[in-house]
Amino acid sequence: MAPGLGLSPAGSSAIQLHPPNDTVPERCRSTAVLPPDAIANLENSPSILPRRLSLLSIKMATAKFKSHFHAPHGHKLFRANSSNLVNEKPIDEEQKQKEKDFIACFECNGPPLSPSQIAENPRSKEVGAASKQLRVGDFELIKTIGTGTFARVWLSRLAGSPKEGQKVFALKILRKVDIIRLKQVEHIKNERNTLSAVAGHPFITTMITSFSDRDCLYMLLDYCPGGEVFTYLRRARRFDEDTSRFYGAEIVLILEFLHDIKGIAYRDLKPENILLDSEGHLKLVDFGFAKEISNRETYTLCGTPEYLAPEVIRNSGHGTAVDWWAFGILTYEFLVGQPPFWNQNPMKIYELIVEGKVKYPQWMSSDARDLIGSLCTVNPSQRLGNISSGGVNGTALVKSHPFFKTIDWDALYHRKIKGPIIPKVKHAADASNFDNYDPPSDSQSAYTKDMAQKYDQEFKDF
Amino acid sequence: MAESTFPGGSGPFGGFNSGRSPSMANVHEDEESDTITSPTNTASAAAPGSPFANSSNFSFNGSSAHSQAPSAFRPPGPDDQGFPNNYNMTRRTSVSAESLTPTHHQESNWKPPYHPKTEDQLSRLRTSVSSNFLFSHLDDESANVVLGALVEKPIPAKDIKVITQGDAGDYFYVVERGVFDIYVNPAGQVTPGPDGMGQKVNTIGPGGSFGELALMYNAPRAATVVSTEKESTLWALDRVTFRRILMDNAFQRRRMYESFLEEVPLLSSLTLYERSKIADALDTQKFPPGATIIREGDPGEAFFILESGEAEVYKSDSGDTVVKRYGKGDYFGELALLDDKPRAASVVAAKNGGEVKVAYLGKQGFQRLLGPVEGIMRRNDYSGGGGEGSAPVTT
Repeated sequence: MAPGLGLSPAGSSAIQLHPPNDTVPERCRSTAVLPPDAIANLENSPSILPRRLSLLSIKMATAKFKSHFHAPHGHKLFRANSSNLVNEKPIDEEQKQKEKDFIACFECNGPPLSPSQIAENPRSKEVGAASKQLRVGDFELIKTIGTGTFARVWLSRLAGSPKEGQKVFALKILRKVDIIRLKQVEHIKNERNTLSAVAGHPFITTMITSFSDRDCLYMLLDYCPGGEVFTYLRRARRFDEDTSRFYGAEIVLILEFLHDIKGIAYRDLKPENILLDSEGHLKLVDFGFAKEISNRETYTLCGTPEYLAPEVIRNSGHGTAVDWWAFGILTYEFLVGQPPFWNQNPMKIYELIVEGKVKYPQWMSSDARDLIGSLCTVNPSQRLGNISSGGVNGTALVKSHPFFKTIDWDALYHRKIKGPIIPKVKHAADASNFDNYDPPSDSQSAYTKDMAQKYDQEFKDF
Repeated sequence: MAESTFPGGSGPFGGFNSGRSPSMANVHEDEESDTITSPTNTASAAAPGSPFANSSNFSFNGSSAHSQAPSAFRPPGPDDQGFPNNYNMTRRTSVSAESLTPTHHQESNWKPPYHPKTEDQLSRLRTSVSSNFLFSHLDDESANVVLGALVEKPIPAKDIKVITQGDAGDYFYVVERGVFDIYVNPAGQVTPGPDGMGQKVNTIGPGGSFGELALMYNAPRAATVVSTEKESTLWALDRVTFRRILMDNAFQRRRMYESFLEEVPLLSSLTLYERSKIADALDTQKFPPGATIIREGDPGEAFFILESGEAEVYKSDSGDTVVKRYGKGDYFGELALLDDKPRAASVVAAKNGGEVKVAYLGKQGFQRLLGPVEGIMRRNDYSGGGGEGSAPVTT
């Protein structure tokens, strides 16, 4: 993790310059004084918070603290007041400047932390915390690099900074009114909180901070100038086995982290959601469907038609095993150029999926076939990734599959292996690997006062 | 079914990709067509004619011809250009249905709607939906609840649009009485003007069904369906009810299995997560009265939990005497998870009882999920008297 400041949930006001490897352990020591249930309560109980602040040796005024970190489940009155917080609280210019300095020097591709370091006590990380100071006006929006029904992603940089050599970001802007209309409130909350919890993983897009204003939610993400793996795959039609293996292996490391350490199911694996960074390593983006699944299965159908797992279609309850199914589909699509279950009629796709008979091209290696077939097993209780053997857990079994026998997993995690495709990037703000998008339309329905009263509480994590 | 139709040439998700989709947006969703210029892209543009040229794309009961998975399986080479099956090469839109959270059966106040039907109506409905894979996978209980939830929808006149192309999809329909015409407008939605519904592509009569994609998530209707008779009748089922019935059934079964597993001393040290995994892996099997579930002397390969009904235990040295009876929640054969010793007794579905339903799991299946049972039992040996969660006592 790069040295940072000011963006921790507790609103650290001092620049913390630890050697990268020292940063997280030291924090963990200081917070470990609290029993686990007290740490859990920190989120819920404002009264415990000052104690944590003293533990972290953070000096700051209570007012500033409240504006930065108000309790999600606070007292009713507190909640009522906080619903308009975003509009009413004056901006603390000093704090804001510190946050800007932090994001300006944040380095996403620094030496990766270990998965357990990322996972440990995520609330003490600066990166990924919400900011109550930043505004969209603090950023210059350069070019749209992605759009959706209620979101638009802009290549952006801090406003008023010299253009030359200035760091750029991907600023994802979501309109509250559309989120509500499309009933995606839960998914958006999950996305922000998941990205916050996983910030720092070498192959997951880093949410540097998030903020909000009256109409919109904002997530400031690291910019991946390489564009989507989807684009490269369609251009090449199919990837050779080495390329597929490299990308597949980085995905395995992502799933290992999400599943085994965070208990999170990603639920929307596909080439469209995988970007390349400037060095050709993967960055998984779009965590709109990611969900923490603790012990129990979940039921809401979500994903992308060709990638839905059989248990999602049949609504029999699903868990992290859906990502291993989708990983099989993804590997097939890498190698063949299209997914194994396909029909013009989506219902027919689903029928083929629950039947689960994969057909392989003759030229596909037996290792690749075995990997895909083991992953695309209809019964999740028999699916590679979800089963264990002799004390070896699911992910470890995937890693030891013959298809991956040439992979040095440790070197891969530490980004020491060169990616098969190095994107052509002329300068930091080069967006030529992304498609062109229409400018935003003017005719947009308004987020009314009534809606704000009803829903702003839902968006308070931003 | 109606959703099996797509505007010609624009790909199967053409109707959903335009950003009007209420189902779900994807941040990187391209609102325009893909701008990649590669030979493969032209393959998708050169889709061989309209999807309606092939009748398999417009089946009514969802069970007819399966399309092939990618069929151009030749070694990659210079002549291997494009995909013959017109795979849509553009970005794919994510989909999502309403958020579903199960309620535990004790505190649940949601009950699936029940609309009484005659035996005739039920059997017709059963036939109508039997070829639909969404229904054919259901166990008897769920199937009965689903059929009970179908609600009658009278269509009192001719020329009524039951569903309109491009509209949000909420309901699945089965035709009880009457004939309906199906229209598709290549624009993906009904347009103004006399031919706004597009071309008539098919007709659907009693026993037919349409709109099944609405049982998955809210996707725009792919066709317009119009009544042609003065009086018609449909049966309707909405997505939330359907998926909720499936969820509640699965959820309650899983919790039931978990609570059964909790009672098995051999497995008492399992964590909730492990029990949930085992519950997920249990298979169900039914035995008619008098049928043998396990036979004395056979090698033990699986363990059983009795889900419903009653079973009797016999031993060869006791003749016809029932030495033990099993009821709901009782388990037997669990020692098979430990060793391969032959079964010490026979377990038979009670001759005078009803059908017996058991949940079972083989030794291999168990080990695949949790490793050897010996290891799990060993946990008990090391844990002190403190019960769950206590630190292991070092020896």
